[in-house]
Amino acid sequence: MKQMVEVSICYGTLCFVMGGSAFETMGEKLPDDLKNKVSIQGMNCPGYCNSQEYGRPPFVKVNNRLIAEANLNKVIESIRKEVEHGTNQ
Amino acid sequence: MAQTNNATLIRREIITRLCKLYIENRLEDIDRIALEMAPRNTTPVSGNRCCIHKSRAIIKYRVMALLGFNVSDETDELESLYSYALRALSHKEPEKGVLTVVDEACTSCVKSNYVVSNLCRGCLASHCMVTCPRNAITMEHGQARIDPLKCVGCGLCKDACPYHAIIYMPIPCEESCPVKAIYRNAEGVEEIDYDKCIHCGRCMVACPFGAVMYRSQIINVLHDISRPNRQVVAMLAPAISGQFKATYPQIATAVKKLGFTDVFEVAAGAVATARDEAHELKEVLEQGQQFMTTSCCPAFVELTEKQLTGLKPYVSHTPSPMRYTADIVRQQYPDASVVFIGPCVAKQAEARRYPGIDYVMTFEELGALMIAMNIDLQTFEATEQEEVIAERKFAFSNGVLNSVTDYYDGPSLNPLVISGLHKKNIASLRRITTGKHDWNMIEVMACEGGCLAGPAGISSPEVARKLFNAQSGVQAEHPLINEMKQK
Repeated sequence: MKQMVEVSICYGTLCFVMGGSAFETMGEKLPDDLKNKVSIQGMNCPGYCNSQEYGRPPFVKVNNRLIAEANLNKVIESIRKEVEHGTNQ
Repeated sequence: MAQTNNATLIRREIITRLCKLYIENRLEDIDRIALEMAPRNTTPVSGNRCCIHKSRAIIKYRVMALLGFNVSDETDELESLYSYALRALSHKEPEKGVLTVVDEACTSCVKSNYVVSNLCRGCLASHCMVTCPRNAITMEHGQARIDPLKCVGCGLCKDACPYHAIIYMPIPCEESCPVKAIYRNAEGVEEIDYDKCIHCGRCMVACPFGAVMYRSQIINVLHDISRPNRQVVAMLAPAISGQFKATYPQIATAVKKLGFTDVFEVAAGAVATARDEAHELKEVLEQGQQFMTTSCCPAFVELTEKQLTGLKPYVSHTPSPMRYTADIVRQQYPDASVVFIGPCVAKQAEARRYPGIDYVMTFEELGALMIAMNIDLQTFEATEQEEVIAERKFAFSNGVLNSVTDYYDGPSLNPLVISGLHKKNIASLRRITTGKHDWNMIEVMACEGGCLAGPAGISSPEVARKLFNAQSGVQAEHPLINEMKQK
């Protein structure tokens, strides 16, 4: 069986205030064909926001890929890439 | 109504920077905010902005609004933000108007609502020209052109064109304003008529350029917190439980960490509002008054003072939860600065009228302040049991009515819930004034769904509702919106 794509949303207050709150409804907003292929979890602030090299918040990780300035569309697109050509299938 | 878009995020970033400078005692660097956010040799964030100099000018005026000033009050263009900051700290600004237009950011909208697109064939019949009652249309280079100075926006040309080449382009702020309080002045820049404005915040949310801003009081709050021996007490509006991914006790702990002496829940004051409003309702109905409306939504109360004055006598005289909560705070902290924190723009206008409340902060400012002070709610332990106040229900449409009903024992009720003061609901309220209906209790909230959808909240209404239901201990029901029944 294929492994689930792991989506980790930064639950830190900075990410949440700067747009991360939108991911609260991500479970419902996933396209039907991806719904059973994704496991969504929160992560405590890993500190990406402290260094400019990672880009701007909010941060989301899809498997090992870090997404800066994340929004629902970017994350869904990235999940789809992982499902189609993912490294950990 | 709160939305996460670039305009909102830039406002939050500026608030965060402003707070940081104050906390780090570097307010003299305030004029650098614009340089840091729009550095040399970069392209402007928005393609519509010609150059970084314009971007910087816009950021400057945004900071000015966040220091509490009306942008149009500028007299000397060379006055530095640092000078404004010092002025903001030295006195409270009591004049009218909570919303202000950043004129540098505006002007990007169409001059006339009707625009000829390039689908125009420049046809021989020229229905548009013939139909226009103001002779505003001419043919130039084989295409029709509308003179914005003559156009009155009737739309007849659009209907007349057989090619559908004329389109209607809304001006988002004007379109969203339910009381026609925002209009284009002679310079083509939007201006707010404060004699009409009810501070619902719709224009602020609607403007795609973020040109409408609320005048913040955060610098004054920070200043009071920093003063030795000064007590500053925060009052958190019931909608707080939908703003962060945290329980009320976690948030209250974080707010104390920000430097507030104590934290009170406005739901506690809402208990008194619900109780007294229930008594008042019974009394007025028994005296033969046809109906009564709620009074907790400040935008609605302003509406009855500025537009629907016929409705004013029917508005409950019971003070809002904010005022009752301030009374509770004053008993314990008679000399403290009292700060209301909520999702609302209109609350600042309400607070200015009552000496019991010193400042109003928004939820997004609370979030920005947490960022500035490196406070992460995730690091706060979720405390065991918390006391759930049922009147947290005041955060959503239907909830106020529900709470009042809990204390009510008068004649049977036929209630109506008005959720959202958009144009259609204002028309309904206008009809209600005529008295030709059966309602005897009317709950009104300016935001669709209630305060959880406030214009200065952190999360979208959908997310706020979900978090509120998960964290507040109270369930937000979908409001029962009754259809207007005519007698």
